[in-house]
Amino acid sequence: MSAILTVFKKEMVDHLRDGRSILVSMIYPLMGPLLLGMMFFFVGGSMRLSDTGPLVVPIVNGESAPDLVRFFAKEGARVEPLLGDARTLVIGGRVAFALILPERPNPTPQKALAVRLLTNPSRFDSIVATSRVVQMFDAYRRDTLGERLRGAGLSPDMMDVLDVAQENIGRSAGPAIILLTMIPPFLIFTLFTGGVHVALDTTSGERERGAFEPLMINPVRRYEVLAGKLGAVIVFTLMALASQVVAFWVMLHVVPEASLGLVAPPSALRLLLVVSVCLPLVVLAAATQLLISAVTRSMKEAQTYLGLLPLVPGLAGMVLALAPVRAQPLLATIPTFGQTLLMGQLVRNEAVSVVFIGITAVATLTATGLLLVLGFRLYEREGILFPQ
Amino acid sequence: MIEIRGLAKSFGDLRVVRDVSFVAQDGEITGLIGPNGAGKTTMFRLICTVLRPDRGTTLIDGIDAQRDSLAARRRLGVLPDIRALYTRLTAREHLRYFGELHGIPGKELDRRIDQLVETLRMEDFIDRRAKGFSRGQQMKVALGRALVHQPHNIMLDEPTNGLDVATSRAVRDLLRQLRAEGRCILLTSHIMQEVAALADRIVILSGGHIVLQGAPAELRRATGLADLEEIFMAATQEAAAEPALAAGN
Repeated sequence: MSAILTVFKKEMVDHLRDGRSILVSMIYPLMGPLLLGMMFFFVGGSMRLSDTGPLVVPIVNGESAPDLVRFFAKEGARVEPLLGDARTLVIGGRVAFALILPERPNPTPQKALAVRLLTNPSRFDSIVATSRVVQMFDAYRRDTLGERLRGAGLSPDMMDVLDVAQENIGRSAGPAIILLTMIPPFLIFTLFTGGVHVALDTTSGERERGAFEPLMINPVRRYEVLAGKLGAVIVFTLMALASQVVAFWVMLHVVPEASLGLVAPPSALRLLLVVSVCLPLVVLAAATQLLISAVTRSMKEAQTYLGLLPLVPGLAGMVLALAPVRAQPLLATIPTFGQTLLMGQLVRNEAVSVVFIGITAVATLTATGLLLVLGFRLYEREGILFPQ
Repeated sequence: MIEIRGLAKSFGDLRVVRDVSFVAQDGEITGLIGPNGAGKTTMFRLICTVLRPDRGTTLIDGIDAQRDSLAARRRLGVLPDIRALYTRLTAREHLRYFGELHGIPGKELDRRIDQLVETLRMEDFIDRRAKGFSRGQQMKVALGRALVHQPHNIMLDEPTNGLDVATSRAVRDLLRQLRAEGRCILLTSHIMQEVAALADRIVILSGGHIVLQGAPAELRRATGLADLEEIFMAATQEAAAEPALAAGN
């Protein structure tokens, strides 16, 4: 045990003095919260504005349907004549949509008014504004039809076929929820990158520099040396995780609530629960990095594979953020996948299953144990000590 | 004492060390010399148990190095060819790290480090980080960490490689001092004058086997040559030309 602690101490001192290790574990993880915060602020903010401010209705040939124009004004919308090419203005984002009416008034008032609505669903503001103007169309249709029924001596209540009461019981509203569920994949990504520089430098790097051989001439077992190095990798990964979680917590409380669109952001306790779900992955990530450094022939080769490694769980997390799946027990047996599901539930303030947590932890720790045994065995090979 | 009996090692089809046997005695400096590729470094790695031999035995003060590698390593101090210092650690931290790996407790370790600083004249740089150290400074740190646990048996691979005259002389003086203390010293070197000046016994390796061994006077008598370099060239060229071995115990 003392050899493990000695090696661990040395690796900690060594890498706390290494600018690159500090950069990778403390600074890079801040990029995720910063990026997400900006997305919340700009996207969420513009959607809030599109959703709550007065609706601007850019219109062409508005004089051919004065009744419709009056209705828009009565509903609080601001009708503006559209000057210029409607397609160009909509595609360019200068207007959220364009309403094109016929050049001449409708000759037969009973006939449907032909309205062209140009929209750009690639822009969030266009999606929201289009939704609002379509709702206004429905209201106008209902209003006009009601008048016609009254004129025919019929009750407008005849139009009511269904009485739907929608009750939104979710904690969050709007696209902010999608952005929130991107937090888990960012955390997973950090788990596999936070300690990677230390992992590379203490294994492949030392082997290339020829420093493994003098180290192994000492009366220490190889697994003791590796355990000490693994400990340092774990600590740096935890530092990265802590750095990112704190940054997320700050972001969620600094970005204006209007931009977040949340009833309440996840509390500090919730975020701590998210971290605790991640903890088995910290050792899994370190064990994987150790294994990769053992099987690759050089530091460059190890860097290549270790650079790709975070994409595997990170991409799965991104997919889950956009297309959530139900947390089934079978999914809990897949390391990183189970944790991503759990973390998503926690950041959305949903209830989590203790059984699911247990299965996830056991599956991850089992995989970690196997990786560690394999990694340590590979490091018993003769040639592992020498540069290739 | 380092006793090698019938050591052999191959890497695939390449036989690097073939049936090598010799003894490095206490209170003597044994020089292990040979051309490039003769197997000297592999021999060193076999002795300090970094590599496992295909056949043969290594005894370090009577301890079988294959059966109890940790005990054998405790009795060995090794200066490898590649110094490979940790650039972000100070010289003192290097010595402390290796001393702790040998299980030397705190105060005793500090005392030994102070002693080594004085012996190796490291006062000027002992608390400086290793980045930017000269070759001489690197060698002193590497030698310091090989000696911090006061091993009875010391192996040095090219100890004066790249050093200036003054530092080389200081290293030779230190080796003589260690010999006088009764320690067993095994060193390799390409500098024949150095080996001739220091070694009490010489083992000449070529093509993985011993072609000649003995005290310098014995080698002169056996070959009829006076200069060690001439003896070396004659022995290794003969070995390269003929398959016959001239191994002794």
